[in-house]
Amino acid sequence: MLVMGEVHTGLLQNSGEISESTCRQVLGLMAGETVRVSRRPIVHALSPERLTGVDCALPTASRSRVRGVGTVVSRCAVTGGRVAQGSSYVRVVRSDADRRLPWSHYLARPGVVEVLGKAKAADLAEGFTGDSAPGRPDGACLDLGAVSGRFLDLVQQSTLLDRRAPFKIPRTSLRWVAETGEPSIRFTLHAEQERTLRLTHPGPFTTAVVDLCEDLATHDWLLTSLLVIVERARIGGTPGAQAVARLAPAIDHLMHLWMPAARVEEWLTPFWESLERRPGFTRQWRSLVDRVRDQVAMNTLALLNATADAGRR
Amino acid sequence: MLVFAISDKGGTGRSVTGTNIVYRHALQGNDVCYLDFDFGSPTAGAIFSVSAVARGTRENGLHHYLRGECPQPRRVDVWAESDREGLRTRPPGAGRLVLLPGSEGGGELSALTDEVVGRCVQLLGRLDEEFDLCMIDVSAGRSFTAELVLAATVRMPAIPFRWLVFHRWTRQHIIAADGLVTGADGLLDVGTRFGHDTDDLRDRIRFVRTAVLEPDAAELVGLRDEQRAWLSACDSELRELAGRHGVGRTAMLGKIPLDPVLQWREQLITDEDVLASKIANAETATAFEDLAKKIVDDSAWEGL
Repeated sequence: MLVMGEVHTGLLQNSGEISESTCRQVLGLMAGETVRVSRRPIVHALSPERLTGVDCALPTASRSRVRGVGTVVSRCAVTGGRVAQGSSYVRVVRSDADRRLPWSHYLARPGVVEVLGKAKAADLAEGFTGDSAPGRPDGACLDLGAVSGRFLDLVQQSTLLDRRAPFKIPRTSLRWVAETGEPSIRFTLHAEQERTLRLTHPGPFTTAVVDLCEDLATHDWLLTSLLVIVERARIGGTPGAQAVARLAPAIDHLMHLWMPAARVEEWLTPFWESLERRPGFTRQWRSLVDRVRDQVAMNTLALLNATADAGRR
Repeated sequence: MLVFAISDKGGTGRSVTGTNIVYRHALQGNDVCYLDFDFGSPTAGAIFSVSAVARGTRENGLHHYLRGECPQPRRVDVWAESDREGLRTRPPGAGRLVLLPGSEGGGELSALTDEVVGRCVQLLGRLDEEFDLCMIDVSAGRSFTAELVLAATVRMPAIPFRWLVFHRWTRQHIIAADGLVTGADGLLDVGTRFGHDTDDLRDRIRFVRTAVLEPDAAELVGLRDEQRAWLSACDSELRELAGRHGVGRTAMLGKIPLDPVLQWREQLITDEDVLASKIANAETATAFEDLAKKIVDDSAWEGL
């Protein structure tokens, strides 16, 4: 029917970026399973997947009760040794049975949630990501955000991290729904740190779609965080040197991490490209980065002038 | 940074002082949040003038969250939701000011289970990721809530935390404040039992005096000489008593002068209250501002 997922993204709680080997240890959630690491164009480490059993109501826009039973797939990722993610998703399918089957049935289908009774894909998609979706699902409803948040906590609570992050910044959450059909993508910013994504892709679902959503979530978090840091700097409202000092964390920790579509499979890149045209992620990122660099340049000039003046006297 | 606010007895002005410190800290450009863990009477919403949660919230309050009834507690953006006009716009350069209200009619925690401590650890860990300062109002006296946060902080050794003990400047309060820290089942006693290092924990505790009437205060000008002499003698007696009980100047982070506004209505003291309507004293606002700086100033927290 459809696939739904939620990605939570945050700043890794460490003073500096962590090395590839530390990434492997931090993400080694299960003994014996390896952490997948890719190095180009940016170091990206992905934990083994874990399952969470669920038997609960699914969110619907019509508020009709739809019961789903199955397992949620979750994983954690660290990008550039700096950005941490917890990500979960489920493939929602119709059950052949009209009652709950033994757990062995569901465990043999990792990441699949079977719907008992009637349900419409559009109703579920709208319930999960639509405007009518109640901000956060209540305790009785499938809450992929709670699962993803917990997995992100697992990373952040690792004893290998020193918890002295260079700046405070909120996590963002991206809720997404993917269906098969005529290609389209809609990315929506909601209040605070909530985002939703509706994706219709050609061909059957593969985990490449999850990679795309995680990549989008990473870049949306980067953009959101850079915006916050630039706002905090109060350029124009405070003396230049002070503004530049407040921009420093962005230069030290964020600005080199922008690698859009780095981990997106060829057949899905048109989706990224369409988001680049509108709203234009990279366009906004570039203008912010330029703004930061111009501030630093202006401040350097001012310092040089001051030094020259002092020398002449 | 986590700051736990506790007082020896009720009515010390813990909540009103804590909220004012947090407000000043936000004005100084930091992202701050205030957690109303005073489950018996969660009234921080009233002090922030958010009438929707003036007596706590009916849904998704901190009490509900700790009991596992909701995945995340409700957050109130004070700059957006306060009813007071002077608070409803975020001043330029100010950080976020977020209130996590308690649950209406929640009642005190009745037991300390591993799950409750786990949820507390998760919540404080997440808030520490995004806020420069999280102030947790732990209510008055010995309580499960105080035990809860002592147990939780043991599990988060890398997250810095501090304790503020609020007390009034009277004989009974000085003795009680000392007892709350060093007495049987006091903070040090319970903290050590949970696995804190006693000396390390002691270094993280400071006292804040509330509703202090200085013998040379302007309000006392109309008093007779005899009264003034008597007050002065009382004050020096109290100072001596405080010194003996480890509540003296070295362990004190700051003091808040007696202010009619705080006595008659618990509220945030804005600059407008001081400069425009002039209902509050400038000294009070300065004292809050000073505490808001000292709370994160390591030199004020060097080992005793």
